[in-house]
Amino acid sequence: MKKKKKGLNQDNKWGYLMVAPTIIGLLVLNVYPFIDTIILSFSSAKVFGGREFAGLSNYTKMFSDAEFWRATWNTVLFCILTVPVGVLLALVIAILLNAKIKGKVAFRAIFFLPMVVAPAAVAMVWKWMFNAEYGIINTVFHTKIDWITNPNVVIITVAIVAIWSALGYDAVLLLSGIQNISKSYYEAASLDGCTKLQQFRYITLPMVSPTLFVVLIMRLMASLKVYDLLYMMVGEGNPALSKAQSLIYLFYRESFISGNRGYASAIVIWTVLLIGIITAVQFIGQKKWVNYEV
Amino acid sequence: MNKWLKKGIAVTLAGAMVLGLAACGAKGEGGSSDGHLVFQIWDQGQKDGMESMAEAYMKEHEDVTIEVQAVGWDEYWTKLEASATSNSMPDIFWMHSNQIYKYADNGILADCSDIVNASGYSEVSVANATGSDGKLYGVPKDKDIVGLLYNKELFDAAQVSYPDDTWTWDDLENASKQIYEKTGKYGYMAYSHDQIGYWNFVYQNGGKILNDDGTEAEYTEKATADAIKYYVELQKNDWCPTQEQFANTGAAEMFFSGEGAMYFAGNWDLINLCTTYEDMNGKWDVAVLPKCPDPAAGEGRASISNSVSYATAAKGKNKELAMDFLKFLGSEEAQKIQGESGAAIPAYNGLEDAWVQSFADKGYELTLENLIGEFDYSVKYVNNPSRPSWEPKVEQTMLDIYAGTVTVDEGIEKMQSLVTEAMKE
Repeated sequence: MKKKKKGLNQDNKWGYLMVAPTIIGLLVLNVYPFIDTIILSFSSAKVFGGREFAGLSNYTKMFSDAEFWRATWNTVLFCILTVPVGVLLALVIAILLNAKIKGKVAFRAIFFLPMVVAPAAVAMVWKWMFNAEYGIINTVFHTKIDWITNPNVVIITVAIVAIWSALGYDAVLLLSGIQNISKSYYEAASLDGCTKLQQFRYITLPMVSPTLFVVLIMRLMASLKVYDLLYMMVGEGNPALSKAQSLIYLFYRESFISGNRGYASAIVIWTVLLIGIITAVQFIGQKKWVNYEV
Repeated sequence: MNKWLKKGIAVTLAGAMVLGLAACGAKGEGGSSDGHLVFQIWDQGQKDGMESMAEAYMKEHEDVTIEVQAVGWDEYWTKLEASATSNSMPDIFWMHSNQIYKYADNGILADCSDIVNASGYSEVSVANATGSDGKLYGVPKDKDIVGLLYNKELFDAAQVSYPDDTWTWDDLENASKQIYEKTGKYGYMAYSHDQIGYWNFVYQNGGKILNDDGTEAEYTEKATADAIKYYVELQKNDWCPTQEQFANTGAAEMFFSGEGAMYFAGNWDLINLCTTYEDMNGKWDVAVLPKCPDPAAGEGRASISNSVSYATAAKGKNKELAMDFLKFLGSEEAQKIQGESGAAIPAYNGLEDAWVQSFADKGYELTLENLIGEFDYSVKYVNNPSRPSWEPKVEQTMLDIYAGTVTVDEGIEKMQSLVTEAMKE
């Protein structure tokens, strides 16, 4: 008995040693910066790392700033635009890719391709396609929409690109979930005379729901953190920027362009809270629709 | 035995991974020793020129190696500030006048007064390397100027004579109008920009952005406000694209695709434009900026001139060696190499021709003498210690004016108060 316990301790020690690299990495690269950001959000940052305690002033300034609320709304709006449509489309594509069609593998590769392309390159190409005067989209559809300079349209434009870039990745994840469903369920269902739609509703959807949930959470977090597409497609010099910026873009401008790192940290803490709240709601909500039984 | 071997391997691997992480943290921080200097710059286009100078230095100092690292503008300043905070700056780096007060006044930069003979360089270049206390915190590298680029083919097609030094704002407008009417292409493209845009018009009109010692904003002075208003309202003409259009397609892109006939550009862009638009060679040229026909004060001429300096950290690990290399970078020999590379107009007096000649040597047909002539009436880049905090807000206000969310007059009032407030902090 005693000997066994000692053995366990020995194993624990080795276990800890094995996870140490990851844990140390997390502590140094994630946990420490996170705590420091919280402290910074209550400070007024001076140049070159100097700071002094400023109480709640960053937060009071933030909550009374119209630009900040606009950025918060833009971020939420971006989520509303991208997440439901993106996940739904991904599910449809995953189901189509699972069907017996010719060149299935080629299609899978094509849909996955946007994920491997650098976001900056994606944004550049789309920016040209959305060019109001010379862009292919306005030319083909004979429209005259200011895709990237009209403050009311630009978020939709960026949302389209965001959906397009993430679609393949989400679809491949969902596809793997669908392929894990045992064929016997479908055989039993067709013997009982179920239609394809019924099979989807009562077999595919419940069985793929855990994967769907993961995809949903991931897409939600990514959307709340949108920055690179906005930076590349809207960018400085665009009159629509202050009307269309997201929280992280506002953070970037305050922190790295204006040098208000204390205020910028407060924005980031707010963003973390926002992501936390929305994710918590998702986790509570999942009990109603996610099925973990096989 | 086998068990121990396994454990040994595991520990070694784990250790290696931790070390790997540590190595990740240390990489790219510069400040190495053993005669190895890291030289950081923000312009990929000038990397070759910087390397030529480093090679010339290394030829005479065989125990020294110099590595030139180019990073993008935004990333450059983020990195530099982080490295200054952790005292691990690159051994030599470029310093921009936007930032020099911040770095110099906080004791980050080494005092270079002893290695620079100020009389050898242009006044603007020396002023831009000077901190608030009047000491030199960098070695003058170059000086720049703004010029008018024009598309000869569009001028020919519209039968308008090319811009020259007799041109006033009125000629600029008339030519634009004629080109637009006859060819359907845009004339002068007045996009939102301070240094390459409205500042030039303000100083031509006899106005000022800041007073001479940089302690007061002068946006609301009549001469300044009138010029800003004039510049902003140029976009109301049919022959000028709107700010929305510029956000879609930059002025340079429109110019080189033949959609617009004229725009202002800094001389630092030229070598890049020449190589990017090789097939346009000979179809465009540069002229002096048009003058103000009825200035509130002065002759109506101005062109904003800025400059970059070379600097090193006050507490650098290789300070002695870095200072010696800095001294070399400021020498006539190194400045000449820089000019010949076409990268920038040397700060050192009398080497302007080296830069002009470098274009001719490569076969680019540009009348660059026009730009050199502008140094006779050039105006120092607008700057003061609080500039980093007011500049983004002022730029935002300009965009709000263009977007129509504030009127020009309201915007000018706002810029005045933004700068005044920033200076109080």
